[in-house]
Amino acid sequence: MRSMAAFDYSALSVDAIRSGIAAKEFTAREVALAAIERIGAADAKVNAFLQTTPDMALAAADALDSAVSSGTFDEMGPLAGVPVAFKDNMNLLGTRTTCGSRMLENYDSAYTATCVQRIVDAGGLPMGKLNMDEFAFGSSTETSAFGTTKNPWDLERVPGGSSGGSAAAVASGMVHVTLGSDTGGSIRQPASFCGVIGIKPTYGLVSRYGVVAFGSSLDQVGPFARNVRDAALALNALVGHDPLDCTSQPCETDFTANLDEGVAGMRIGVVPEFMTAPGLEPEVGEAVLAAIQKLAAQGAEIVEVELPNAAAAMSAYYVIGPCEAFSNLSRFDSVRYGYRDPGHADLGSQYEASRAFGFGQEAQRRILLGSYLLSAGVYDTYYYPAQQVRTLITDDYRMAFGECDCILAPTSPRTAFKFGEITDPNTMHLSDIFTISINIAGNGGMSVPLGLSADSGLPASAQLICPWFKDENMLRVAAAIEREYGPAPIAPAFADGKVGA
Amino acid sequence: MKTMEEVLRDWEAVIGLEIHCELTELETKMFCGCKLEFGAEPNTHTCPVCLGLPGALPVPNKAAIESIVLAGLATNCDIEKHTMFYRKGYMYPDMAKNFQTTQGPKAFAMRGWLDLDVDGKGAEERLDVRDLEVGQQVEAATRTETGYTTHIGITRIHMEEDAGKMVHIGGGEGRIDGATHSLVDYNRAGTPLMELVTEPDLRTPEEARLFMQKLRQVYLSLGISDCSLEEGSMRADGNISLRRRGETEFGTRTEMKNINSFKALHDALAYEICRQAEVLEAGGTVVQETRHWDPGAKHTITMRVKETADDYRMFPDPDLAPYDLSDEFIEGVRAKLPELPDQKVARFQRVWGLSAYDARHVIEHRETASFFEVGMAEAGPDAEALAKPLANLIINDLAARRSADEAFDLASCPLTPARAVELVAIRASDAISSKQEKEVLEAVFAEDKDPAAIVEERGMKQVSDTGAIEAVVDAVLAANPDKVEEYRGGKTGLLGFFVGQCMKEMAGQGNPKLINQLLAEKLG
Repeated sequence: MRSMAAFDYSALSVDAIRSGIAAKEFTAREVALAAIERIGAADAKVNAFLQTTPDMALAAADALDSAVSSGTFDEMGPLAGVPVAFKDNMNLLGTRTTCGSRMLENYDSAYTATCVQRIVDAGGLPMGKLNMDEFAFGSSTETSAFGTTKNPWDLERVPGGSSGGSAAAVASGMVHVTLGSDTGGSIRQPASFCGVIGIKPTYGLVSRYGVVAFGSSLDQVGPFARNVRDAALALNALVGHDPLDCTSQPCETDFTANLDEGVAGMRIGVVPEFMTAPGLEPEVGEAVLAAIQKLAAQGAEIVEVELPNAAAAMSAYYVIGPCEAFSNLSRFDSVRYGYRDPGHADLGSQYEASRAFGFGQEAQRRILLGSYLLSAGVYDTYYYPAQQVRTLITDDYRMAFGECDCILAPTSPRTAFKFGEITDPNTMHLSDIFTISINIAGNGGMSVPLGLSADSGLPASAQLICPWFKDENMLRVAAAIEREYGPAPIAPAFADGKVGA
Repeated sequence: MKTMEEVLRDWEAVIGLEIHCELTELETKMFCGCKLEFGAEPNTHTCPVCLGLPGALPVPNKAAIESIVLAGLATNCDIEKHTMFYRKGYMYPDMAKNFQTTQGPKAFAMRGWLDLDVDGKGAEERLDVRDLEVGQQVEAATRTETGYTTHIGITRIHMEEDAGKMVHIGGGEGRIDGATHSLVDYNRAGTPLMELVTEPDLRTPEEARLFMQKLRQVYLSLGISDCSLEEGSMRADGNISLRRRGETEFGTRTEMKNINSFKALHDALAYEICRQAEVLEAGGTVVQETRHWDPGAKHTITMRVKETADDYRMFPDPDLAPYDLSDEFIEGVRAKLPELPDQKVARFQRVWGLSAYDARHVIEHRETASFFEVGMAEAGPDAEALAKPLANLIINDLAARRSADEAFDLASCPLTPARAVELVAIRASDAISSKQEKEVLEAVFAEDKDPAAIVEERGMKQVSDTGAIEAVVDAVLAANPDKVEEYRGGKTGLLGFFVGQCMKEMAGQGNPKLINQLLAEKLG
């Protein structure tokens, strides 16, 4: 037996973990124990985890090892033995689901979300729950009530958000696959900041049941991973109709099937307005242009496409998002669960005091905004036009995808910023200028690493956008990009079994 | 306070109803798989969805959509193909999500109507129709032989979910005032609920009562709800305002919520008419408010004053896709429409020759309608001749029995349709008198035997032998010469005395028609 400390599971691919267990090179329990130990050490630096679930991971590992002993391991899923973790807005029986909020600090999940269950059913070892901006309101994970998560590439910098914990946990090699949720860029932007792959599938591809809602018409769950095939395997496990989510669609696609096909003959769209957008940092723009050239060199046809209404996406988003959030969060009222301010004799004052304390500033800002936007006399001025804009943007994408199979764009206008660097909410919201219109239109989008930026040395990335339910298109392009840049590396301070500087 | 009749001479009441009906005949709730069951242990039929737990999502019940389309078609509504669910926000613990999923400007069913036939004493509430000639119209009402008919518009029927049930502890009569704590039972939360809204076309409490009763008949015929007023699966909110006769503007209205009996609906509206008139005639103004009907004290009291319109922040529910109902779906539902109450009335008139009045009252309850139909099937070739007497038995005797005994159950009582037909047939053959018929009916209920057997046992038979009756008549006249004198002197009211004496002599078995006839001849 090798010594535990020497067993660096983090460098292995999902396939390698599964085949290693099958070949009895190591046991699932060894993977689980190594992951528990590694998370214990590395997360002291990163603070990606809000809770860890070592007992769950070990139980899942033991079941896999029994399957090896009894000769039934072949029946185990594609993520068998792979350390996984979940954003803390996803219910998992036996864990708290805090949404990064004091409101739900002690809320015990009453059931398990479909997406979580599917990853567990695929053989993932559940290692814990991950930090996030409070109720997913934010782009830096700084609005979490439970401390900030550090970017593993530079602990002075944010991991992005709102799924910052999910991105950082993968980038630091603590786990192989995490789940995040993306309402306006909350998977893609932190994936970009942390230099990992993050997929926001087409709306309806993955069940939202059990994921605490932010903007129901915008939210979508997706995986983080360090290479395209791992991400595709996770996506395979996630997709498909869920009878508990009537917006979820059937899906028979194997997302690993076309990863080796290359991009020769594919039409890849580039949006000129995106490439010249104010606020796009030169090092990001240059990295994206370089990637476009590499794809062209691989035989892709590069076409310019127009998204004439994309500039209005931000405005529409900051109407639709807060309206839906206001309504979705109205259930957190202190009556049946969640934070209850003590000592109130009447319902109204209990509501007010509990919500004033339980919700942080950004959450309160969005609730108040939504409450205002939906009020009588105001609704027609904002909500209705926002829905009209939504239709226009959706049509823009439909038109654009008449001319291309996939769009390539920046994910975020810049690389990871420092803690406290952005305090103005409007500037913070600009982090999402390239991602928001995709949620508005419901298309799939993903962030794929492009190596390190020339100036900052921080991860740079590109965003791929696909037609509705053609998510395999963007994975195919992502695989082609990966062949140029290699799989996403573990952040240097955490590579080769290290647990942070 | 003036009586309602006094008030209605000067004032016109404008009444609109909102009638909620739970789709109790469905298996499961509106947006989750929880079982629908009245009276279960509190909070035993709940799940993350109907408890509004974080992350839960609604999945609409397809059968509920079919039910409301059925209800819409049965009430002459247009079916709105393109419609969606909205969220109606309000913070209250009976709605765990703090919003109710309901419908927005477009409901599944829009622009329908029901016609009401108002007769008997209830028709007299409508003073403006009372003095019209048959066939004459005022507003939507047309005078008929027995009363009048009126046309009541239905604005819409929309689909929504019911709230949980709150029980307030420590206050008076379970009310929230003075309560120390409140309990919530979420078994009812998420129950599919149809809300029908009428146009303000109703003019009297009787019309309101009849509308609700007719709607209940329609819903029951569709088999979509048990429509139990007692258990609250059907309940009405009544809106009422007064205006001077001849005016066209509406007055300020008050609303009475969750009225759970036909009588309470009538009486609460009648009380409000008198109360509002008193306020207005004293120079005051009616306050727009919700009032509570106290059936014990027989008055309404202020429950909640609406100072500003509630802002429910309605917007389309982003968890539920818009509906796009196909013609095939709608026609498929239409094909499932059963015979509706109005059609049944028409058929009973056509096939059995019943009057409209008799037919309407026979079909007032599902059980009586089917009792009549089974009876007619038993009657064979004599059916048409026995239809009217059987209808009378149902409308008079059985209705009286039902109102005297709440537990009376026609389906399980000793009077089967076959026995009822046998009884009215015996009577129709003049073999027994109508008085004896009542006696036999009582005996059927008491002894659970066939009418023919009772007639036989008790030696009951009506004597229609003219010779035998004549002998008795002669004897009675001979025994009462003074009365005969008085009669002949103009005191014709004594005829009843002579009939009674003859009947007594004949132990009640004499044919009263023949007795009358012979007495008239002999006293002549």
